[in-house]
Amino acid sequence: MTRDAIVAFERRYGSPANSLLSRLATVQTEHGGLTVSAADAVADEIGLPRAHVRGTVSFFGDLGFGARGRRHVRICEGTACLAATGPGHFAAIRRSLLANDETTVQGVYCLGYCYGGPAALDGESPRAGPNLSSQLLGEDPGADPDIPVRAAVDRPVVLAGIAGGGSAWPVWRAVLADGGGERVLKEVDAARLRGRGGAEFPVAAKWRAAAATRAERRYVIANGDEGDPGSFADRLLMERDPDRILAGLALASLACEATAGFVYVRSEYPRARDAIKDAVYRARAAGHLGRNIGGSDVDFDVEVIEGAGSYVAGEETSLIRSIEGLRGGVRPRPPFPTTEGLFGLPTAVNNVETLVAVPWILAQGGASYAELGVPDQTGTKLVCLNERFARPGAVEVEFGTPVREICEVLGGGVRDGQNLRALQIGGPLGGFLGQEDLDVPLSEPALRRIGIPLGHASLIAFDERIAGAAILRHLWRFAASESCGSCDPCRIGTKRGLELVERDEERPLRSEERQRLEALLDVMATASMCAFGRGVPGSVRSLLRVYAEELVAT
Amino acid sequence: MRVSVDGRQVEVGAGASILHAIRAAGAMVPSLCFDERVSAAGSCRTCLVGVDGHAEPICACTSTVAEGMSISTSDAGALAFARASLELIVSELPERALSADPKRSELVRACQQLGVDVGRFRGARHTRGRDDSHPYVKFDADLCIACGRCVRMCDEVQGTFALSLVGRGFETVVSPDGSDWANSGCVACGGCVDSCPTGALSEPGLLDPRPIDSVVVTTCGYCGVGCSLDVHTRAGEEIAAITPTRTAAVNRGHACVKGRFAHAFVRSRDRLTDPLIRRNGRLEQGSWEEALEHISRELKRIKETHGPDSIAAISSSRASNEENYMLQKLMRAVIGTNNVDNCSRLCHAPTAAGLTASFGLAGGTGPFEEMDHSECFLVVGANPTEAHPVVGARIKQRVLAGASLVVIDPRRTEIARYADVHLAGRPGSNVAVFHGLAHVLLDEELVDRVFLDDRTEGFDELEALLRDYSPEAVEEISGVPAEDVRRAARIYARGPCSAIVYGLGVTEHAHGTDGVRSLANLALLTGNVGRASGGGVYPLRGQNNVQGAADLGTLPDLLPGYQRLTDDEAVARFEAEWGVALSRRPGMRIPQMFDAALAGRLKALYVYGEDIAQTDPDSKRVVAAMEACELVISQEIFLSRTAELADVVLPGCSFLEKDGTFVNFDRRFQRVRTALPPPGRARSDFEVIAAVAKALGGDLGCTSPADALEEVGRLCPHYAGISHGRLDREGPLHWPCRSAHDPGEAILYRDRFATPNGRARIAAPPYRPPGEEPDASYPFVLVTGRRLEHYNAGTMTRRTDNLRLRAHGFVEMNPADAIRLELVEGDMVEVASRRGAVTAPLTLTETVGVGQLFMDFHFPEVLTNALTSDVVDTAGCPEYKVTAVRVHQLLSKS
Repeated sequence: MTRDAIVAFERRYGSPANSLLSRLATVQTEHGGLTVSAADAVADEIGLPRAHVRGTVSFFGDLGFGARGRRHVRICEGTACLAATGPGHFAAIRRSLLANDETTVQGVYCLGYCYGGPAALDGESPRAGPNLSSQLLGEDPGADPDIPVRAAVDRPVVLAGIAGGGSAWPVWRAVLADGGGERVLKEVDAARLRGRGGAEFPVAAKWRAAAATRAERRYVIANGDEGDPGSFADRLLMERDPDRILAGLALASLACEATAGFVYVRSEYPRARDAIKDAVYRARAAGHLGRNIGGSDVDFDVEVIEGAGSYVAGEETSLIRSIEGLRGGVRPRPPFPTTEGLFGLPTAVNNVETLVAVPWILAQGGASYAELGVPDQTGTKLVCLNERFARPGAVEVEFGTPVREICEVLGGGVRDGQNLRALQIGGPLGGFLGQEDLDVPLSEPALRRIGIPLGHASLIAFDERIAGAAILRHLWRFAASESCGSCDPCRIGTKRGLELVERDEERPLRSEERQRLEALLDVMATASMCAFGRGVPGSVRSLLRVYAEELVAT
Repeated sequence: MRVSVDGRQVEVGAGASILHAIRAAGAMVPSLCFDERVSAAGSCRTCLVGVDGHAEPICACTSTVAEGMSISTSDAGALAFARASLELIVSELPERALSADPKRSELVRACQQLGVDVGRFRGARHTRGRDDSHPYVKFDADLCIACGRCVRMCDEVQGTFALSLVGRGFETVVSPDGSDWANSGCVACGGCVDSCPTGALSEPGLLDPRPIDSVVVTTCGYCGVGCSLDVHTRAGEEIAAITPTRTAAVNRGHACVKGRFAHAFVRSRDRLTDPLIRRNGRLEQGSWEEALEHISRELKRIKETHGPDSIAAISSSRASNEENYMLQKLMRAVIGTNNVDNCSRLCHAPTAAGLTASFGLAGGTGPFEEMDHSECFLVVGANPTEAHPVVGARIKQRVLAGASLVVIDPRRTEIARYADVHLAGRPGSNVAVFHGLAHVLLDEELVDRVFLDDRTEGFDELEALLRDYSPEAVEEISGVPAEDVRRAARIYARGPCSAIVYGLGVTEHAHGTDGVRSLANLALLTGNVGRASGGGVYPLRGQNNVQGAADLGTLPDLLPGYQRLTDDEAVARFEAEWGVALSRRPGMRIPQMFDAALAGRLKALYVYGEDIAQTDPDSKRVVAAMEACELVISQEIFLSRTAELADVVLPGCSFLEKDGTFVNFDRRFQRVRTALPPPGRARSDFEVIAAVAKALGGDLGCTSPADALEEVGRLCPHYAGISHGRLDREGPLHWPCRSAHDPGEAILYRDRFATPNGRARIAAPPYRPPGEEPDASYPFVLVTGRRLEHYNAGTMTRRTDNLRLRAHGFVEMNPADAIRLELVEGDMVEVASRRGAVTAPLTLTETVGVGQLFMDFHFPEVLTNALTSDVVDTAGCPEYKVTAVRVHQLLSKS
């Protein structure tokens, strides 16, 4: 039983609170913004305490109290858009759009158009391209470029469906009929599959832990809150092969003995949300989801939850809080969600890319999967290349492929004859490599050895046009605006970091500033509660190393 | 589990936090976001410690111990990071945060411990400003460090859910759910203020920088829960703050708006500081000598002329055990009459009578702590979240943790909104509803046959009676849907350990004793009493010492310790101790005293700490009875309505100024200690009663309250083991406590019931309609009761800022009735009964049912008890909960 009174309250008296975020978003759209009284009314309707609903509204970037224009444009401030156009484009577009007083503008961190940015969401319509400003002003037709996709492996795993490998649902039905959860666990174990969200936790172990917790019910969640600016792998999978995610989630539910699943899709991905919802309806109609599936005694159904604008919501405790309709603040672990998760019940949260591999593993056998990649990291990874590459897009590679090969061969090197100044791997909590560092193999252990977390394996190339100081400011702005506030080293530290680098004059950090920054990075890296606050310092430090001559006074 | 902290071995439970182990070892680390009353958040990161085998510092509050773990609080690396975390916290705060008195700021203490002043991380601070809208909860938002302790206190202890953190990242700050604190859902339990580590949430007395130099631990004088309070004073002269005692068994560091904040009355300018004597029809200030001389002259005269039974005393359920003991001793040993009663007559006399008849003793069957194990609560005729807030909050938390809840109450109270089933029967239908539940228990074979056979008697009569109480029949009588009766019975029976918690909605009826007994039947039928398991029957006592006043014998037919006047051996013991012969004639109950006064048989009335002119039913008649007396003495702290009518007024003490003991609702003796001296020439009530005795030529013997309790111990076997010394050494004790080594019997009847044959007695009283029912002339049923912010006659709470939280009395009506009568919110209405009429503003709420009204009785300007009837139960308790009234508009709001 949870110690958490608000969750207990909600479980007993709220109805159904997991609809809170979408309910608030609907009210916001219909009423031209959210007021305190509107939020109170939603709280009363759903049966949640008003204070907590206000807390939720004020937490999420998309919500908040205030007016919303008839036209609401979310402009991407993500890292790839910075790499594409430099730091000024957001302000310029914002200025031109706000000339119309029926328009409101919101900056968001990444819309997943890193291969073709800069990007924006006009209402729910994605717009991207070098002429974004003209598109938004109606001078050019709107463009929503597809993700270029390639499989640089002989037998695509993650891209199995997209590359023409057919539906994953037959695998689900076959496992349901023969082997069940034990078979799932055995094969996933044999595959040595690890979580692709960045934490690299062994998947079968997580599922066993959830199954081992005594409870009246259990949940599985597909984490589609792909927050890392630079990554669009999950968007690709959710839009183009949602059935495979659902089949993977269904297989996970069998292993966890869960009866209900959720797919949490970030609000920046409206197409992905629609595709997943559509896939759920189709799966129900086809009898893949529901009660007594395929004549078995297995019940499993899935609900799609849309986020409301928070990077940290991708962290599992935060994601669970936001499904509960509460502030998406990170919570200390333990208890881990596998013992006390959604509504206090055992819950396994897995990234969509992780789940996508599961049907393949069940179809081909865990041993086949384990043959892919390198001994210390099996399998494949969908790598995302930004628009600075000559051949941007999503590429499936085996773990162990040298980063240089990915950049120079698969990505074709930096376009327009520019030089690669820096390569960011793994998003804002990952790190930066210089031209000379690229021979490292793409694998979590190898990168970890040089102090860079793999994260979601996005690759963002920076050419020489973008100043290191702009990237440094971008990192701290992102950190300060996305810190959830649950722990003080991150809540205050990200603000202090931003203050250190946000100034008008362009100059390297003075030695006293550098000392203060180091002290700050130390405490954030060691004392923060979650991977966010702990991860920002490594990213900053690697940037300072790669741009040392620009950023650090000697 | 065995772990070592700085080389010291400690034993802690599995699953304990590292912080817990550190504290158990007597070590200290800062922990700004931690409060042992709520869950850990791990947000401040100042409790980082070194743990062997871990390269990185570990957050002590959120990490659990492992067997053999070696913890270091002086690990240099961990300390450096803890210090850096604290430096970051300090960097967002204004300078005043660090200039606070360390005793009032955990933050300052943490900075002292870790040697942090301004720190290395200067930067932007907050400019959110203050919210001083609330009289007690003062919010300085720029001091908030978003640790969320206040939110968790509100959620996990108080259960009001009025607070949340808002914003995110650096902008995260706590906020109440209203436009400001005063207009929010905050019920001012003070938990948030008490927990805040920085002073962002504070209270007036703590914001006043003058030193606070004394702390006295005492027992709250509001309601019968018996919360332990720490009274912080300035030089023992002025109260700076009252906070709940963290280690107290009853309240565990929780309190309510009354005990926590409503203390300004003690230094109210209109406190009585001198005796008053009526001369030429007017009360005039006099000396103690004059007042005592007057009393002694008049009482002697009346006793000589009309006999001792022409004199009566009404004792105070707010007074201590020792004072109650002294007053009944005065009446019995010096005056020579048993005419002494206390206000439990007006509230829980049916409890005393009913529980004694059913189980053998006149009190709740188990300690409050047992509710931690209750899996089901049956809350009947009680509004605990307002009238007994600490119990109400605890029940809410148990329910949130999964316990089931059935509420029987005509009103949709806050606790009813949490219920699995709410049975809102017509006022006065309790007995029928209880029988309906019993009927279902039998019908569906949900009874505990073994328990019934082994430990009860009288089942057959009940079984026969219950044939007439099918759920459908009960629906006819009460209006409660038959299916709800069935559901409620099943939930109660399913338990597995079901507690019955009830209040005056059971007792204050024409057939209150029948209600108590038929309610007790439910516990007997299911075996939910007489074993340690979270079951039990808990009467929620109205006043702080209503249990003790009765325990100590301010009852006309019972000596202290519920010993009967017919018990020769007991009477002989008292006569030997007191050295006088006792009258064996039972005295008058309070309502009989008024009858006797009006009939000319009662000539003198000594009213101690009780505003009978406001709180007793049919006020007009009460006043007439007082006027008929030749002498009325009022011993009071304020010039109450009763005092205004008295011939002599003696200034006494509030609970904050006295020494002694109270007994709370679960039979727990707890110490009351003097925090302040009495004002002016007021004297402790203990001394006053002794002085009255002396003036009459008597000698009550006891030289101090401690001495009095010693004497009680010699006379009452149930209290023999209880003394001030032992309470001071060991803490509270439950009666029965038969010797100095007896730990006290917190859970009663584990082996046998306290009846002559050891069996509980199942009762079979038929349902009888209430004494007063609505008709065409008086179509509404008025229910009376308390509100959170005030206490009974309001003498104390109306002299505090609680008045800012609720300024006046009003009439609650269901909106459907208002539409029919074309009334709107705020209209001034006259509510009239067969006895009187009062005027009050109208408020519309669905908490009252159609055809019902609700009024409190806290405000003298809305004299609710002018309406109530003097119909009484067999135990003498008035039917406060059912009065037929009519309503009409006097003044439209528009």
